[in-house]
Amino acid sequence: MEQYEDRRRAGIRMAVLQYLVAAVFTVLATSFWALQVVQHAKFNELAENNHQRTLALRAPRGIVFDRDGEVLVQSRRSYSISIVREHTLDLDRTIGLLTATLGLDESGVRAIVNRHRSEPVYQPITIIQDATLAQVAAVTARRLDFELPDVVVEQVPTRQYPSTLAAHLFGYVGEVSDTQVSKDRSLRSGDIVGQAGIEAVYNGLLMGEDGAKRVVVNSVGREIRTIAEDPPTEGKRLRLTADYHVQKALEDGFRALGYNGAAVLLDPANGEVFAFTSVPSYDPNTFAAGIDRATWTALNTDDLRPLNDRAIQGRYSVGSTFKMAVATAALEEGVITPDYKVYCPGHATFFGRPFKCWKPGGHGTVDLRQAIAQSCNVYFYTIGNMTGIEKIHKWATALGLGEKSGIDLPGEVQGLVPSPEWKRARNGEKWYAGETISVSIGQGAVSLTPVSMAVYISTIANGGTRVTPHLLKAVDDGTGWKAVAAPEPQSRVTLKPETVQAIRDGLFLVVNGARGTGRNARLDGFDVSGKTGTAQMISNDGVRMAKGKTARDLRDNGWFVFFAPRDHPQIAGAILAEHAEHGSNAAIIARHAIETFFAKREGRPLPAPPAPTSPPPPVEGDDPPPDRESPRLAGAVATGGQ
Amino acid sequence: MFERRLYHHIDWALVGAVLALCAIGVVMIFSTTAGQARGSSPLFLTQIYAIVLGLCAMAFMLSLDYRTFTDKSHFIYVALLAVLVYVLYNGDVRMGAQRWIALGAFNVQPSEFAKIGLALLLAKFFGENRGAPGWTDLAIAAGLTCLPLALVAKEPDLGTAVILLPVLLAVAYLAGMPMRAFGALALCLLLTAPLAWQFGLEDYQKTRLTSFLDPSQDARDAGYQQIQARITVGSGGLTGKGFRQGTQGQLRFLPVAHNDFIFSVLAEEQGFAGVLVALGLYVFVILRTLEAARLAKDRLGSYLVIGVMASFTFQVVYNITMSAGLAPVKGLTLPLMSYGGSSMIATLAGFGLVLNVRMRRFTN
Repeated sequence: MEQYEDRRRAGIRMAVLQYLVAAVFTVLATSFWALQVVQHAKFNELAENNHQRTLALRAPRGIVFDRDGEVLVQSRRSYSISIVREHTLDLDRTIGLLTATLGLDESGVRAIVNRHRSEPVYQPITIIQDATLAQVAAVTARRLDFELPDVVVEQVPTRQYPSTLAAHLFGYVGEVSDTQVSKDRSLRSGDIVGQAGIEAVYNGLLMGEDGAKRVVVNSVGREIRTIAEDPPTEGKRLRLTADYHVQKALEDGFRALGYNGAAVLLDPANGEVFAFTSVPSYDPNTFAAGIDRATWTALNTDDLRPLNDRAIQGRYSVGSTFKMAVATAALEEGVITPDYKVYCPGHATFFGRPFKCWKPGGHGTVDLRQAIAQSCNVYFYTIGNMTGIEKIHKWATALGLGEKSGIDLPGEVQGLVPSPEWKRARNGEKWYAGETISVSIGQGAVSLTPVSMAVYISTIANGGTRVTPHLLKAVDDGTGWKAVAAPEPQSRVTLKPETVQAIRDGLFLVVNGARGTGRNARLDGFDVSGKTGTAQMISNDGVRMAKGKTARDLRDNGWFVFFAPRDHPQIAGAILAEHAEHGSNAAIIARHAIETFFAKREGRPLPAPPAPTSPPPPVEGDDPPPDRESPRLAGAVATGGQ
Repeated sequence: MFERRLYHHIDWALVGAVLALCAIGVVMIFSTTAGQARGSSPLFLTQIYAIVLGLCAMAFMLSLDYRTFTDKSHFIYVALLAVLVYVLYNGDVRMGAQRWIALGAFNVQPSEFAKIGLALLLAKFFGENRGAPGWTDLAIAAGLTCLPLALVAKEPDLGTAVILLPVLLAVAYLAGMPMRAFGALALCLLLTAPLAWQFGLEDYQKTRLTSFLDPSQDARDAGYQQIQARITVGSGGLTGKGFRQGTQGQLRFLPVAHNDFIFSVLAEEQGFAGVLVALGLYVFVILRTLEAARLAKDRLGSYLVIGVMASFTFQVVYNITMSAGLAPVKGLTLPLMSYGGSSMIATLAGFGLVLNVRMRRFTN
């Protein structure tokens, strides 16, 4: 009986166990249903995020060529070292180990990481751009040891520039700023964009399109294989109007003579810029891989302001080079003919005030050609006074002075040719006729950029067309070169042939005449025509007072504007040599560039650069600033880029 | 001894289901480990050797009447205790625990065999009793269970140690243990839980438990495994990603995929369909075993089968729950499927006893 009871109870309890097992397994099956079928989409996405990564493939920026196909700016491969926090167990340890491995400053690295802390953890934080091979090797070895599994080495294209050559022309690249992103929707944070020069102006062409690579990674973040790859599209190639050899010759000239300054050389027929420089320069390569704070500070606090583009941003007093504008105004307005003669006794009196010529004994009787050739101040005082400031201003503007040139570079500033309206607007004073006398020889408030001086001499050379200087000649988007149309001239006036002829004759004599001040630019067979100018920084009284009291260089600036050959000009330009004391020294630089230009055109061997020297003594028959003694001018000068 | 007649009473359906589960296990082990060419022979081959050895053990357990084993159960029990003590002091240390005896090519994990030893001993203990067990009987049985349990827990292998408890509970329950005793036990557990938490658990064990409650608090380690397990299972979908196509297992997001998490890999690669097949096979095996207990000719046999079944079922249910990320991560393998020689041999030997009991239901 008891045994029966036992059996019955065991049977019941066994049945309970059966139902229990069935119930448990039903619950299990339901749970798997919930996970695998109901929530499948969610978990599937999590699984894909787990093992798939999209990596950006940086597009190299377009290569930049000179007008003859010489490579100027290209992209090279560089390596960047980044931390991907997604796989980081201990960020402090990673930072410590990484800085020890690479020999970096730990607080600096920590600052970089903190700056990007709010970004998604899978986004790499770049610690070093353009790492050395030794750094790459050190990191790779530790990565393989699983010591730094969260540090990645990426290959990125980096811009490579020809050192400091044409740095202000090319500009530089850098990470896009937040302001730039908000202005241009096509840019994304982290993009590398042009920040100056043609890199900035033609950023849209040069940038290319980043590609992407979808890869499978394992649980420690190592790439296993590629699922899909969308290759990057390289930026468009640009062919510039610049000529590498002329550019180099120009900069060699500055380097040989040791001057700072600026120069723009262009084709007077269409405005194609052959060479463009601003000295001192900087090395854009230091920006290409992320500039460090020290270098940036040094560039910004340098008294010589190397980042400043003197050619388009520097405003300088131009001295005697302004005289052709006065001549043009007088001739075109019919105030004088080329044969109009003035007697120069070495000085003249206007409105009761004496004005000096630079030559104490005077030039005697000179016509326009002779006045230009010998840079006679008295002649220009006289015709400037006869023409009047309004007409001088009108014609100077027509020739491109005091206007923006419209060159395809960012940040161009406008120069100044004074006028009565300008003076009224500035301080409400009326124009004094005596001021016209100073303006007639390029002194007074006249302050102009080198690029506008280049346009000015081009306009004289081509007979009245104010060409727009430009740098882009052709674009290749991968389907072959397509020429870019030259921009329309800024304005066009037709100068009378006799005007052009008379000024050209005068300019020819400046360089080729026995007593010309521009003899340093003379080239047999090429009829170089030009004009020197010497612009004071400060009055003679000022020089005397400042002597020994200031470290500032107070020596005069030298100008040389030119074109060649005289009759069918192929090249024109303006050269400013800071503190060169005389324009004839700027002419040395011009000569080398012009000689190189023609040697290349004619297929002759290129000339050797001028030997490095201390500046040669001024040419005999010089034209120092004429009216240093005039106290009225002391405040109005020193308008240069310093 | 083994009579020809008995051969016809072997439960071939159960043998078939067990072998099918073993085969699924081998295939999944192959899937997760084939890519990793290590010097020694592939793991799936080792697993096949273990299955062959396990089948030999099963045959041996069949060859003698189960009463022969239960009669010797106290010797077996004492011998097991001795080996467990030996392991504690001389065993190989792996992953921080002393569980292994190096035995030639195989490394034996004696704790796996403790389950069978205990099932034999308890079957004998309760089987010889007449009527429902009293409090004294229960206390003795609990003592007998706690001795090996403490030794295994000391290794430390809390997972394997804990699965000895279901053996005691199931056998005692079937033997007619009063329901009041269950109530008392539950009360005791509830009261001692805080103490056990404070003094009984190692830090890493606490971490595992707390991270189960909030996996994100420890997204790198214990919680990480749990999150990854859920992702692995969930991403499998209805039909799975395909053989060797599972990204979670193949790319090692899931640790010890061929061992503790083999069911997750099955769920990922074969989907809900594969899960249903495996679950079905396990249910079949367990219910078939329960039937063997019901059909047993004496209480001894029925208790023996229940004892063997209890640890097996507990382990299967726990491991599968854990594989889906629904239970704290414990080093508990999935019997018949997970990689592991000792577990395989011990489990198959256990099924040998189950078959033995059913086969001999008509003998005297």
